[in-house]
Amino acid sequence: MTAAIEIKGLTKSFRVYQKPEGLLASVAGLFRRRYRHVEAVRGINLTVTPGEFVAFLGPNGAGKTTTLKLLSGVLTPTSGEARVLGHVPWRRENRYRRRFALVMGQKNQLWWDLPAAESFRLHQHIYSLPRTEFERTRDDLAEMLSVTHLLQQPVRELSLGERMKMELIAALLHSPEVLFLDEPTIGLDVVAQHNIRAFLRDYQQRRGVTIVLTSHYMIDVAALCHRVVMMGRGRIVYDGSLDGIVERFGGHKVISLHVNGAWSPELLSGLGELLSFEPPRARLRVARGDVPAVLQRILAAGQVLDLSVEDPPLEEIVAAWFAAERSDDGPSRRGEEV
Amino acid sequence: MSPAAAWTIIRISIAERLIYRGDFALGTLMRFLPIVTQVFLWAAVFSALDAAGRPAEVAGFSYREMIAYYLLTMVARAFSSMPGLASGIARDIRSGAVNKYLIQPVDMLHYLLLHRIAHKLVYYSVALGPFALVFLLCRGFFPGWPDPETLCVFAASLVMAFLLGFFLESALGMIGFWFLEVSSLLFVYMLFAFFFSGHMFPIDMLPAGVATVVRLLPLQYLAYFPAAVFLGKVSGPELWQSLAVEAAWIVFFAFAGRIAFRRGVRRYGGYGG
Amino acid sequence: MRTMDSRQSANPALGAADGGPIGPSGPLRYVRVMAVFARNSLVRDMTFRVNFLINVASSISWVLMNLGFYLLIFRFAPSIGASTGWEQWPFFAFLATGLLINSTVHALFMVNADELSELIRTGNLDFVLLRPIDTQFMVSLSRIDWSALGNFCVGLILLATALVRMNYLPSFLECALYVFFLVCGVAIYYSLMIALAASSVWLGRNLSLLDFWFYITTFARYPMEIYQGRFGAPLRAAFTWVIPVLVVVNVPARLLVQSVRPSSASDWFLAAFAVAAAIASLAASRIIFQIALRAYRSSGS
Repeated sequence: MTAAIEIKGLTKSFRVYQKPEGLLASVAGLFRRRYRHVEAVRGINLTVTPGEFVAFLGPNGAGKTTTLKLLSGVLTPTSGEARVLGHVPWRRENRYRRRFALVMGQKNQLWWDLPAAESFRLHQHIYSLPRTEFERTRDDLAEMLSVTHLLQQPVRELSLGERMKMELIAALLHSPEVLFLDEPTIGLDVVAQHNIRAFLRDYQQRRGVTIVLTSHYMIDVAALCHRVVMMGRGRIVYDGSLDGIVERFGGHKVISLHVNGAWSPELLSGLGELLSFEPPRARLRVARGDVPAVLQRILAAGQVLDLSVEDPPLEEIVAAWFAAERSDDGPSRRGEEV
Repeated sequence: MSPAAAWTIIRISIAERLIYRGDFALGTLMRFLPIVTQVFLWAAVFSALDAAGRPAEVAGFSYREMIAYYLLTMVARAFSSMPGLASGIARDIRSGAVNKYLIQPVDMLHYLLLHRIAHKLVYYSVALGPFALVFLLCRGFFPGWPDPETLCVFAASLVMAFLLGFFLESALGMIGFWFLEVSSLLFVYMLFAFFFSGHMFPIDMLPAGVATVVRLLPLQYLAYFPAAVFLGKVSGPELWQSLAVEAAWIVFFAFAGRIAFRRGVRRYGGYGG
Repeated sequence: MRTMDSRQSANPALGAADGGPIGPSGPLRYVRVMAVFARNSLVRDMTFRVNFLINVASSISWVLMNLGFYLLIFRFAPSIGASTGWEQWPFFAFLATGLLINSTVHALFMVNADELSELIRTGNLDFVLLRPIDTQFMVSLSRIDWSALGNFCVGLILLATALVRMNYLPSFLECALYVFFLVCGVAIYYSLMIALAASSVWLGRNLSLLDFWFYITTFARYPMEIYQGRFGAPLRAAFTWVIPVLVVVNVPARLLVQSVRPSSASDWFLAAFAVAAAIASLAASRIIFQIALRAYRSSGS
């Protein structure tokens, strides 16, 4: 089958205007401007097949949102190629714009003071949707998200979660074949997050749409996506299954012990990084390669009642990796995320 | 309030204001543009008078005096206008930000006055250039420098225009303690102030009956009075009499604002901000 | 919920899908979208009814105050300018024309132009770019300020009063021409406004050149004859031929007022120029808007 999304060597660098200090410099700046180049996306390659649910992970400024904006045609790349559903996004053909949707968790597309139903009506005409089909889609979606009773309420009176549901309905009214979701659950409470996730999974399974999602919440990713693309400093650093991340980035294992009084914290610290010590339990962080040797020493010392070796939680791995990325980066780089 | 605290407030306010100085200078020059059309409008009016064989004066103003009048009201407004003062107070009351004045050992009106003085100082330092340029270009419209006494009264009338503008608008802002929606009320005030302060035209042009009433209002001191003083339209005992009346208005609004604030705070505390 | 969307089942292959419109297309679609904009804005205005009424009342009182000023002027002078024909009622017809044009621009475009710098600053312009509809259309018309119609009504009443006082009944042709030139005037004002608003792409933050619009259009508030002499003549030339704001009100107003109606060839040339200026301004604004969009895209959010 043809790829839904195909990206080759996609690169985007921004010219950031450096606003000079002071009045005279500001005036001079009107004529001769100084710019700084920021490379947000550096030659990425990616293929997504139709019906895939892909997650983009990465620290702020990794290039996730820029990539989504490139794929939705809001931005034009510096170089490289991309095809979504066979269209070059930045040509912004209406034919393409009718086939995808973009939802940004932090931004509001609906008329603030009006009921969401009025914004939906506007979408109907913008996307030239036949009335009956439009109404059926709207009602189906509202029912799936259980917001039918809120359609006539001004958007400003809705909770954040309800608003997000309305944003999703607005984005799906024209039945897009590709859906870009930028942090769709950001700022929502746990229940609302869960509802949105359940809806997305359900919708994707039923309709077979291709979805690309960015999120900070690993739980989003774990619940929805089989495929994870990790980005760092504009490059794709990992592309594969979620479990594979542990193999790749989890350089450590966690050894949990049930010990008796003979073990002191000092003794344990000699073996690896002591994560916690609440007798009789102790947790040790040990480099993957050292695990056999450490286990031997523990067993040789005896006095161990129970022992297990585990991978650290995914969240921890990714967080540690994000942190490393950021400190490499330095604070001077401007992230592309708002 | 200690002088040191007062100085600190002024210094911080100046620093805050300086950030926007670029927009400021341009904005000041732009504000003179409508005057350009006024100059041509009045030239046309006076040429029509001339063609009709009528004396070249409107309500006692010659063409040159008329233009000089408009330029001088710009100076007066630079002192008396208080953009955002009343609406800012009303907003602080509504949002509860007014609480900070109740907690800190600083009086709101004092603080706002110092804040405003700082803003005006920065404004003058930036606006002086554009003003000087415009007055230099338009010096032909002026009859020449008035005598030292008039000049002193003119200077005093400007400072008093500032004080009157401040106390009048801050008193208006206190209405926010009683009504939540004051912006429409403030708009009505602005409209009246524009029309009857002499900003739009010399109030001498008004029909006699209306003019009498308008002369009893404090609004004329915000624009008309300083300009009229400079042009020698007010003189002799009337000059000092007017200044005394203006001073009385200042005292009146200063007290009105203070009383309104006290009462408002009591009321405010009642339902908790 | 249907398991398959009609389009998807018809064309699961993603390469060459047409994805063409299913509902109405072309100009009709724009009319429909425009109608929804108008309706939504009205619904919104009616939710804040008190605010709406205050807006109407305050803008009308502002206009009335201005009229009061001109009434005062005519207490002293017979006309604006010597032998220009702009006596009181002709002049009021002129003011009425200005009101009709200004309130139309206000109603249709002002809020939107104001919003544009905000859209740019917050990056919400992204969403407009995604829609399968002309971006400039969406940006320029998505909110309609119905409260500006109050001034439109004042303009109509004032015009009618002036015509009655001048004892003049315009022919159908004159009325049609008048409306046509009003539209031209609106087009010129709109173009200037949207071009200035688009400038916030380059200026960034919340700085916008939109304020210039008010200052520039101040020059069009009076009959062009008042710009005379050493300084007036160049001003008049600049605001007629370079930034054609002077033709906006002058050309239509003179059609309805006998004392100043176009008589010479140069008067009719000015009218023809107004049409050309309207078309050229629209084209220029379109180009500037496109360049601004390109700059917005390359600068990211």
